[in-house]
Amino acid sequence: MIKYLLRRFVGWLLMIVVATNVTYFLAWAFLDPRSNYVGRRPPLTHDEVTQLLAPRNLSDTVPLVQRWWDWFSGILFRWDWGVSAVGESVNEQVAYRMWISAELVLGATILTTILGIALGVYTASRQYKLADRVGQATSVVTMNINIVVAALGIVLLAIGFNDLVGARVFFVTGSHGQDVTGFFPVILDTLQHLTLPTLALVLVGYAQYHLLQRTLLLDNINADYVRTARAKGLTKQKAIRKHALRTSLIPVATQVAFTIPAIFTGAILTERIFGWNGMGRYFLDTISKNDVHGVVAVAAFGALLTAIGAILSDIAIVVLDPRVRVS
Amino acid sequence: MSLDQIQPPVGPETTASRIPRKRMSLWSLYTRRFMRNKPAVGGIVIFVLLVLFAVIAPFIAKYDHIELDFLNLSTGPSAEHWFGTTSAGNDTFAQVAIGLQRSLMIAVSVSVGTTVLSAIVGTAAAYFGGFIERGILLVIHFLMVIPTFLILALISNDAGGDWRVITLILIFTGWFFPARVIWTMALPLRESEYVNAARYMGVPGMKIVMRHLIPNIGSLLVINFALGVVTAVMAETGLSFLGFGVKIPDVSLGSLIGYGANTISSAPWLFYFPAGALTLLTVSMALVADGLRDALDPTSAAGGQA
Repeated sequence: MIKYLLRRFVGWLLMIVVATNVTYFLAWAFLDPRSNYVGRRPPLTHDEVTQLLAPRNLSDTVPLVQRWWDWFSGILFRWDWGVSAVGESVNEQVAYRMWISAELVLGATILTTILGIALGVYTASRQYKLADRVGQATSVVTMNINIVVAALGIVLLAIGFNDLVGARVFFVTGSHGQDVTGFFPVILDTLQHLTLPTLALVLVGYAQYHLLQRTLLLDNINADYVRTARAKGLTKQKAIRKHALRTSLIPVATQVAFTIPAIFTGAILTERIFGWNGMGRYFLDTISKNDVHGVVAVAAFGALLTAIGAILSDIAIVVLDPRVRVS
Repeated sequence: MSLDQIQPPVGPETTASRIPRKRMSLWSLYTRRFMRNKPAVGGIVIFVLLVLFAVIAPFIAKYDHIELDFLNLSTGPSAEHWFGTTSAGNDTFAQVAIGLQRSLMIAVSVSVGTTVLSAIVGTAAAYFGGFIERGILLVIHFLMVIPTFLILALISNDAGGDWRVITLILIFTGWFFPARVIWTMALPLRESEYVNAARYMGVPGMKIVMRHLIPNIGSLLVINFALGVVTAVMAETGLSFLGFGVKIPDVSLGSLIGYGANTISSAPWLFYFPAGALTLLTVSMALVADGLRDALDPTSAAGGQA
């Protein structure tokens, strides 16, 4: 099994490397770092801009192949992802913003998964009863609300709630307050900032796991091995928990793992609406500022998430599916 | 319920007359199964109403969507401006109508494009097998690793918000995931007798794909199309909201919601109306897709009897 996972890991690593390099050339085809210096007062000449950009490996006077090699060898040998056109280090930016995004995405992913699977199991064991019908109707609607609409709707509600209470219970923008110190104040402050964006991500995300888990569990409840377990005297609840749930979790786990990058894209919109300085914001900034190295770093981050998702789904299958362990 | 259970009992004398009637009854069966799903019927009614609104509203609106009314700046809904005005004096009613039109146009063309492309590529991979199959799958997996959202943003930013360019790149970045699903669905068909028969009769490979494989996954494609509309609307709105998609003077639901977001506490109607239209559009289309799945998928138990 270790060997299998290792082989998958190497395969993905290769994919990431190729994808990142392709993005590097793509970024150069669409972005022009020189334009950052257009319209400066006093205006800079072509040569002056070149002198600024050349030490940052962003000057188009150097052949593309050489720029690429300088950039790639920098990552290979020094893990240096380069600097932006105005000299900010990409490494520093990503290292700082990664955790802000992770704070949002991790919590939301865990909540979404647990809520979705729990609802799926609950409604599947009550097929066509009121709870099932209401749950399904709600899920179809929430799943198809655009994340932008959901997030802004939540902002409106939160503003209304804050006005009603007369205090700022929820913060609509930013990931952290200024000058908050002490253990409990920091936690409280984080929660105040985290609640709304997490709510938005969970609201539009939980439903797909709910519906998937419900369908899979319903398929499995009637399977032979569950009926055998029932015939041997297990109660329905116990048969579902011990036998049907395990097999029906496999596709859900795969789905969860593969949506990790999608959650990240969803977080771009959420971060923009709630004013978080995470990877999503960095993504927008780098494109608008023609920051070639930053764009490529974001792409590599995304590719890495996809690979992590895929490997996690492999592990989940190995852990959950008894048939895989035999071979 | 499987289809064979609802067919009338066949006597030897009815076999000849049964053939044309069977085709009719299949369609009426689909319609009947679809009509029984009340949410799906509601979805299609809402969708048709939205399309009618997008087509008719620009003619009945008192103002053009780019016309400015300097006497009414940032006013709420009124008899003069049904959905209120923006801070520049644009009529929101006309803007929502045009925006809906644009979003619908992009979504439907993108969904048609991705469905056709993914059907051909996915079934071709399944039919030809061998190195063609491996090559196609490698390309698909590779495209899944490249963050498509980034490519979308890069190219549409460069194109300056032309909706035709946005449509093209949404098609390009949207086909490979459905293609992979279709590939798995088409795999068993590769081994089926009628495909083998066609092959031994010397029908060229691409013709078998177009004539035998694709029609046999037709129901999946129809469902894919409906879901593709939802996905495309979501993608386009997200891009336009961030400022990478459709740009002024052109408007789409996403860019309208983007403007509305900036004034959400001072002029909330700029958010309500486009957001309402967008939600109705995506939810109604999803309900339609749900109903189609129940009606077209013979193994689905969700449709009930017959």
